[in-house]
Amino acid sequence: MSRNQRFILLGLAAVVLVVAFVVARSGSSEEEGGSKSASDTTSTTDNQQEAPTGDAHRPRKPAAPQVATIVVKGGKPVGGVKRITFRKNGQIVFVVRSDVADEVHFHGYDIAKDVKAGGSVRFTTKAKIDGRFEVELEDRGTQIAEVEVTP
Amino acid sequence: MRLRHAVASATVAALALPQAASAHGLVGRQDLPIPRWLFAWAAATVLVASFVGLATLWPKPRLQELQERVVARLPAILDVGCGVIGVAAFGLTIYAGLAGNQTGTANLAPTVIYVLFWVGIPFASALFGDVFRPFNPWRAIARGVSWLAGRMARQDSLPDALPYPARLGRWPAVIGILIFAWVELVYVDKTDPSQLAIMAIAYAAVQLVGMSLYGIETWESRGDAFAVYFNLFARLSPLDWRGRKLAVRRPLEGVVGLTPVAGTVALLSTMIGTTSFDGFSQGSTWSSIAPHLQSFFLDIGFNAEHALELAMTVGLLAMVLIVAGLYRLGVAGMHTVGEGHTTSELAGRFAHTLVPIALAYVIAHYFSLLVYNGQATAYLASDPLGDGSDLFGTGSATIDYSVISATGIWYVQVGALVLGHVCGLILAHDRAIAMYRSARDATRSQYWMLAVMVSFTSLGLWLLSAANQ
Repeated sequence: MSRNQRFILLGLAAVVLVVAFVVARSGSSEEEGGSKSASDTTSTTDNQQEAPTGDAHRPRKPAAPQVATIVVKGGKPVGGVKRITFRKNGQIVFVVRSDVADEVHFHGYDIAKDVKAGGSVRFTTKAKIDGRFEVELEDRGTQIAEVEVTP
Repeated sequence: MRLRHAVASATVAALALPQAASAHGLVGRQDLPIPRWLFAWAAATVLVASFVGLATLWPKPRLQELQERVVARLPAILDVGCGVIGVAAFGLTIYAGLAGNQTGTANLAPTVIYVLFWVGIPFASALFGDVFRPFNPWRAIARGVSWLAGRMARQDSLPDALPYPARLGRWPAVIGILIFAWVELVYVDKTDPSQLAIMAIAYAAVQLVGMSLYGIETWESRGDAFAVYFNLFARLSPLDWRGRKLAVRRPLEGVVGLTPVAGTVALLSTMIGTTSFDGFSQGSTWSSIAPHLQSFFLDIGFNAEHALELAMTVGLLAMVLIVAGLYRLGVAGMHTVGEGHTTSELAGRFAHTLVPIALAYVIAHYFSLLVYNGQATAYLASDPLGDGSDLFGTGSATIDYSVISATGIWYVQVGALVLGHVCGLILAHDRAIAMYRSARDATRSQYWMLAVMVSFTSLGLWLLSAANQ
């Protein structure tokens, strides 16, 4: 290989590094922006309930929870399997309302709760593990939701 | 704003998630896709490493001649002992599968087969050499039987082994790996313990027939799919267990001596292609294609379950063919460099460069499975049949998902892909300068191999990132 070829290749490597730096920077800032707007639009009631006293001047409405709710009809999740996303070290809260009796199993966190036909169960736990986890009707073996915990 | 991040913020996204959410049916936690910044950095590292490597790698071949040093001699009893352990483990797995609880996660068999055997042994092999060989249960049984037969029969009354047909090459292994991958990724009852046990018995039976026809060593090195598969990874390791000796070699050196018999490229394409499909089949691209395929098979008259299986079979085979096609394309490009090498010669002589890439794919896709579900061994060993027994007092152990964070897994995945890429590049470079008379032709041939490697590594990164969106 000639000296010139060598220089061209090393030059290319330098160019790639610069491009990557730019892409990675814009990527991470976009991600930041993206998640900001997400939390702005979807801040849940739980946020408000746990809001510090600084928010006390706001009239506190009676809880109208917007907690993620998985509705099960005929043993199947309404609207297909949905993904519910939480941040790590935050609070995981979701409700399963079912028209059939079964055991709801939240994999990974390994929490299982029985639900009666027409009843609902609420899952609350600290988001300690990141990853994606199945929520399943254990007896039927049907996945009804996916919980995602991002770092 | 930072604070608000820390507070729980739940977003609900309606997604058409693929039906087969967990590929193995054992998985309680799935990996998060790698974020964009990491993807960008990984891709850049790959390109930079490639260019710098091409510009600065050694001008004379360094790996083509094996430099081994024997460091220890091993007692004969070791081989026998390992064989007995291997047969016992095989027997226990089958017994658990047949007699135990038929829920996949409560039975020892599925975890042993999919996690410890299929994923654990490749990791161990790449680190410590061909560790499967002495434990290989069907090899141990065949050797035991042949030893007994030799003692009981008169020396000349035992038939000689048939000559192994050259055309067969590693093709039996290709078929074996393809079938296993199909069961693991496509088959509806993939975690049914008794079905797995029966398939394991059938596999062992086929190997015993093969070994009795063509000789134990010959069949083991060509036809025994798992032995061949694990051995490929073991060749990357610096440890070489040959006969009664333990030798040390430079890393990567062992794979240079891979003889490209018929079916070798097909085997490596199958390995990379099936692992790719594991990632691909969990992604959004696949979940937008799959329903069309499925409804096509439904229209022909298959029921929903079989239609899904058939759709996934098509996807699996397509992925293997895409990988094989990519490699073939690179080889066809290299062919244009000249010096009178045929495409099939080139395809064979560069086949070994795919081994580190195949390992990188395995690590990227199955590292978390091994780390998390490998822990299930603790409670399954105490309760192999899933009947509530607690043999070693570890029956109530659980999987600790906090041993490594999602971020840690990302780095392992990306690190494996980048390292596999660099290893493939080094192997291709060394082979090229050994094969081509002029240095200029060698460099030109390497542009093509570089393109192949970059495509495989980009595919690998893409599978990790977009696949799970």
